[in-house]
Amino acid sequence: MTRYLDRATLLGVLTAALFVAASGGVHHAVSAKLGPSRDEELLYYPSGLMVRRASLGYETAAADLAWLRGVQYYGEHRLTDMKFGMIDHVMRIVAELDPQFIEAYVFGGFVLAQEMRQPERGLALLTEGLRANPTNWRLAFETGFLHYVCRHDYASAGRYFTWASRMPDHAEYAERFAAFANQKAGNTGMAILLWKHTLLTGNAYMQDVARKELLRLGVR
Amino acid sequence: MTRTLAIAHNTLREVARERVVLVLALFGLMLLIGSQVLSPLALGEGRKVVIDFGLAGSSLLATLLCVFLGSSLLHQELERRTVYAVLAKPIRREEFLVGKFLGLWVTAAMLLAGMAVILLAVVTVAYHDTPWQVLGAVGLNLIELGIVTAVVVLFSSFTTPALTAFFAVAATVAGHFAEDLRYFASQGAPALRAMAEGAYWVLPHLDLFNARGLVVHGASVGMERILYAFSYGLLYVIGMLILAGAIFRRREFR
Repeated sequence: MTRYLDRATLLGVLTAALFVAASGGVHHAVSAKLGPSRDEELLYYPSGLMVRRASLGYETAAADLAWLRGVQYYGEHRLTDMKFGMIDHVMRIVAELDPQFIEAYVFGGFVLAQEMRQPERGLALLTEGLRANPTNWRLAFETGFLHYVCRHDYASAGRYFTWASRMPDHAEYAERFAAFANQKAGNTGMAILLWKHTLLTGNAYMQDVARKELLRLGVR
Repeated sequence: MTRTLAIAHNTLREVARERVVLVLALFGLMLLIGSQVLSPLALGEGRKVVIDFGLAGSSLLATLLCVFLGSSLLHQELERRTVYAVLAKPIRREEFLVGKFLGLWVTAAMLLAGMAVILLAVVTVAYHDTPWQVLGAVGLNLIELGIVTAVVVLFSSFTTPALTAFFAVAATVAGHFAEDLRYFASQGAPALRAMAEGAYWVLPHLDLFNARGLVVHGASVGMERILYAFSYGLLYVIGMLILAGAIFRRREFR
């Protein structure tokens, strides 16, 4: 032991540790004072195409990293200022890296449409997902969902629900929703049904939103 | 053939001494911890994240093992002068090189296969579903490792370990950019275009062996693609080894 850890080495290690600890202290003090720059924190994220080139064949793993960062970003802001200005940017990066990452379109679309009250941007993201995955029933279904709930455009909702019901492996309820929307009858009932359906998904965030919307519609 | 296999076996034992099992154990541990930590953060996408990171990590580790252990393999033989004892026997230099290639590739392949088994086990236990389709991606990765190993053997036949590692990493990186290189060159002057076209055909087309994006979404790798990749990989490896053999045959030992 003494052969490897003589006095000079020990002193060197301790000095190095002291400097590293001091740099950590400075970083902590400065970042606490400045705080995160809310609008710029994810601007450094380059475009998905650039990350795709730099990932050297590991683009789906890079997409997962961007996805985890996006979820963190959402969580941080949900607990503080409820501003999600960069969520569109991050989810588009995820989608460019892995165009089959369905959850990125759905989650991004919902945050934009529900939390930011910008349904057009949410729908644009979902439409991009549909362009990359035209046979994915869930994307068509969620697009119909946003048309119905956010824009009250029942004709478009009916069209997308019908699209979903014709895709392979679609859920049985897609047909039911298509029928309801196309009849354009009992719209509040339809909304309640849609939100109740959302409660059945495994996504805790979407379940939370659904519970709030159901409360607004007077359903406990 | 027996002589080549004897050298391959010896190389395998030599590389195995470099604590490959430790790498496997660390990989398994990281994957287990990663799946527990990342799953709740991934908002329902935990399974995909674990498979993605597992495949990317295993591919990267096996490639790094090939490059960094392989770059010094031949040099060590020269340094310790064991190469003289081996080549004094009735064995051709080309056979010696092929033996080295086989030993290194089999070691990397065993490491990759071990990591694939760990990945399958972790996903099965954590998500109660075995993603068998990852085996297709691992199979393609094995062929890619063969190409990387052949490139390492080629460079190690005439240059130093540091330069071998540098060139092998550069060739691997450039191998993923081969299509882009051709595209960018098509926009340039005729001379540049001709040069880039030449580089395009010489570089290994490693994108062909990447099916990770396919299997993480539950799709399988088609037999046609595997056969195509295998044919391409086999021809490329033979080409690299012939070139390495030609260089190594002319090399003078001091």
